[in-house]
Amino acid sequence: MTRAERLAAAAFIVSAATAIAVLVVYVQHPDPQWEGALLGIATLAFGAAFVIIANGLLPPGPAVEQRERFGADLDEREEVEEAFERIDVLSRRRFLLGTAGAAVVAFVGVAVWPLRSLGPRPGNALARTPWRNGLRVVNEAGAPVVASEVPLGGLVTVFPEGAVGSADGQAVLVRVEPQMLKLPAGRESWAPDGLLVYSKVCTHAGCPVGLYEARSHELLCPCHQSAFNVLDGAHPTAGPAARAQPQLPIQIASDGTLVALGDFSDPIGPGYWDRPDHSQ
Amino acid sequence: MSRPLARALLALPLALGVVTVIAWRPGRAIAQIDVRTIFLRDCAVCHGADGRGSPRGPSILTSGRAGVDFYLSTGRMPISKPTDAVERHQPKYDPATLRALVDYVASLPGFTGPDIPVVDIGHASLPRGGVLYRLNCAACHAWSGRGGALLHRESPPLDHATPTQIAEAMRVGPGNMPVFGEAAVDAKGLDDVAAYTREITRHPADRGGFPLWHLGPLPEGAVAVFLGLGILLALARVIGTRASEHREVPEAGST
Repeated sequence: MTRAERLAAAAFIVSAATAIAVLVVYVQHPDPQWEGALLGIATLAFGAAFVIIANGLLPPGPAVEQRERFGADLDEREEVEEAFERIDVLSRRRFLLGTAGAAVVAFVGVAVWPLRSLGPRPGNALARTPWRNGLRVVNEAGAPVVASEVPLGGLVTVFPEGAVGSADGQAVLVRVEPQMLKLPAGRESWAPDGLLVYSKVCTHAGCPVGLYEARSHELLCPCHQSAFNVLDGAHPTAGPAARAQPQLPIQIASDGTLVALGDFSDPIGPGYWDRPDHSQ
Repeated sequence: MSRPLARALLALPLALGVVTVIAWRPGRAIAQIDVRTIFLRDCAVCHGADGRGSPRGPSILTSGRAGVDFYLSTGRMPISKPTDAVERHQPKYDPATLRALVDYVASLPGFTGPDIPVVDIGHASLPRGGVLYRLNCAACHAWSGRGGALLHRESPPLDHATPTQIAEAMRVGPGNMPVFGEAAVDAKGLDDVAAYTREITRHPADRGGFPLWHLGPLPEGAVAVFLGLGILLALARVIGTRASEHREVPEAGST
């Protein structure tokens, strides 16, 4: 047995032993760090064995194989040229072009037709959310939000009733001092007692706008640091977002719960190619 | 007079005195005067003797017992100058003085706000705490409770906060933190969030061994790419170099 053989065999034995050790650790005392380390040794030893075999046992190279001569000899060339000249290319060109065209059309058709499988056009589904007039505002547990349970400076993540966890219906509810509000014209009644609901989906890239700095009244998006001032209709004050967060018109019902008066003021989330743009 | 009798007569007033001293506890009136002095010395300069605030500091009348206890027990207050950063420090007062100070502030006329929540993390639900934490807290305090950058300042790490302080902060919303009222997190939810926060800060599941200061997936990926792939590349190069040592380099132009 040569030295390389012994070394390779030893590496294989180490690999086998550590692999079994992984199993023992896994069964006896699961610990991801030990498992990882042993598995690493097992794979390394396995690879090392092959490196040793390649370097020490396989015949040393390189083995050179002579290549055959390229090209045909003169006789062959002349024969081909003669045969080529015999073919009447012109009389068959139209037919050839026709068939080639048919092949191209069929090929492109086959390639384009499956685009239909992308499904029906979304229509205005992107512009709508589950929020409807009369739907109650609920929290993440599905419990209706009572206005008196949202203190000044408060923040609640809310959903439309019956659609808890909805990706496009998620919204943030905050309470601010009513006299500080500077909402756009027409939204005067949308913030009863200083309660404001804005979409939680950032108009820049769709991240959840979950950070709220209560003292500066700014919603902050954690992905790209867009900031929105909740007092003036959540217009962006910093960062890459260009559009305001859509606001949800709400009112306080007679039992103190919050009820939506319709859908958001604008389509939520980032822009898309046929987004109706009636805000700016 | 016999000596035992004299001893007894001498011992009687002594014993009475000892008993009196043991039985005497500072009455409410005396304690309040002490606390009032502390309040006027440490708090009233900015917050006013009546707690209504001044140009140097905000009103504390709406902070509730929870707010007063939070600021004092985390050492965020008192600060020596109004411009000082409001940050976590060793609390300035011992627990008894702190309680008396909270009681005193709570007795100021017009004082309102949330009471100190009673937190029981023994019966809390960690999974529910995780859901609430990720929904309400993780955006600012990070998935690991290490805190993170905000627009105007940063949100603090949570590893030193006691369960009561966590619950107080949620109900009060200190500084730029929003208030999490009953509609966002109910009383049981406070227990759950406090328990979950304690779990992720005290017993984080760092399966990789070295958590990289809980900076998150981006640094972890960077380490994997640069360190891990770097080692693999170096190893591949070592293997390749050794293999070629055994081979003869073919002579140029041997075809």
